[in-house]
Amino acid sequence: MATVSQLKSARPSHSGKTQTLIELAHAGVTFQSRTGDALVAVEDFNLRIQDGEIVSLVGPSGCGKSTVLRMLAGLQQPTTGDIWIGGGRQRRGFSEVAIVFQRPTLLPWLSVLKNVLYPVRALRRTTAADRSRAQELLEVVGLGDMGARMPHELSGGMQQRASIARSLILDPKILLMDEPFGALDALTREDLQLDLLDIHASTGKTILLVTHSINEAVLLSDRVAVMSTRPGRLQELISIDIPTPRSHETPAHPAFHHYAGRIRDDIFGPNARSRA
Amino acid sequence: MSPSARKIVLPILAFALFLGLWEAISVSLDIPVYLLPSPSAIWAGGAKLGMTLLTNTAVTLKTILLGFALSCAVGIPLGVLVSVNRLTSEAIYPLIVFLNAIPIISIAPILVVIFGTDETTRLIIVTLTAFFPIMVATATGIMDTPHEMLDLSRVAGAAPVTEILTIRLPHAVPFIFGGLRIGVTVAVIGAVVAEFVNANRGLGFLVTSSTAQFAIPTAMACVVMLAVVSVILYESVNWIHRLLFSWSLRNDPGK
Repeated sequence: MATVSQLKSARPSHSGKTQTLIELAHAGVTFQSRTGDALVAVEDFNLRIQDGEIVSLVGPSGCGKSTVLRMLAGLQQPTTGDIWIGGGRQRRGFSEVAIVFQRPTLLPWLSVLKNVLYPVRALRRTTAADRSRAQELLEVVGLGDMGARMPHELSGGMQQRASIARSLILDPKILLMDEPFGALDALTREDLQLDLLDIHASTGKTILLVTHSINEAVLLSDRVAVMSTRPGRLQELISIDIPTPRSHETPAHPAFHHYAGRIRDDIFGPNARSRA
Repeated sequence: MSPSARKIVLPILAFALFLGLWEAISVSLDIPVYLLPSPSAIWAGGAKLGMTLLTNTAVTLKTILLGFALSCAVGIPLGVLVSVNRLTSEAIYPLIVFLNAIPIISIAPILVVIFGTDETTRLIIVTLTAFFPIMVATATGIMDTPHEMLDLSRVAGAAPVTEILTIRLPHAVPFIFGGLRIGVTVAVIGAVVAEFVNANRGLGFLVTSSTAQFAIPTAMACVVMLAVVSVILYESVNWIHRLLFSWSLRNDPGK
């Protein structure tokens, strides 16, 4: 169970960056079911994320990790507690918080370039500067010559790359990613994980990643927040002290399996490993 | 023969065979022309009208097209209105379903009394018959918008109007065209009904006036012309769909 003392003791592995960018304080979401019963999706969730950190949320399905992400995206109001982003509560548009979904969610009626521009279009008319930035971002994600294509002409991995480019178009401080690589094949997935680390290294975005994959969480994160289910609570917050930059060799690091095992124990209980 | 050529040749052969059988039966059984005119008699009936057939087709076509345009102008915004907001939907939808339950043919003579015996009344009748499928299709498309697309526009901070224009309406395009395909054929029916009750020109008028004089082949020629108009309009809608919204012809929307 998450306790306040545990949270306070958890320090981000990033040194020198101590500014809190995201804070959830006793945040909770209770859904009212049709029969009138209250369904507690997330309860008393406390988490501070520092500027430039990558934090993963892992946990069994139904633990409310997507609900936490949706609260930060402004798609779900907390029914209890508070959320601060960059010290404020108001946010509007991808310039503050951008989201990447599990499915690419490209608009099939727009070209790839126009899809990348969509967060701009949602707020105002696009300018030539916006278009050249969109083109640059497509080059960053390796789709420099795909801007004029329609989404259906791209593979699943390329579509997800385009959606990552879209999330960066308004230079947000925060990237929220809801199982962004979950629908991809293993090779594409590995490719995009490393690309995400590159993007993080060059832009310093703060990233909150929801994932099913323990290995993905350890590979990418500065800290991993393990959630327990029914009600969704923060169970443990684990700092991953594996040196950065990480690469495809990181899973061979001696500490990697230690962290992965610890997370597994948190989720399945300490006896689960003997079963494997 | 290649499958694509077969797709064109086979229906033509079947159609020719159908006409030939019809002609043969009419002639061999000596069926009176006022009961069932043979294809050649219908052709002769049409040829006797000559230019009159074409000018009256133009009159009816104009009523259909104007009425259809009005149906779109009414049906699409109304479809958006009833689907985009739960309150408007709950308030307006039952009313519209009730209005649609009224057989327009039955109130057509009443509409003539109310609005007079001119083109306006005919346009009102066409619009009343054709807007409903367009409205329902639009509303269905708007409500079908995937949640993830709406989440995207909400996180992006799109205003409600922007969300409709940039997400919901484009997503509804293939649905709307489904409604337009039905709407345009219903508009033909509406125009004929309007001309039955109130006109001194047009194909619908020609059908009633020819029948009154027992000139069945002439009336049938007008009916064939109406069918041709209907098919051409239907295919025109398809053509516009393919030309302007080719992305929506793929059957994996939202991926």
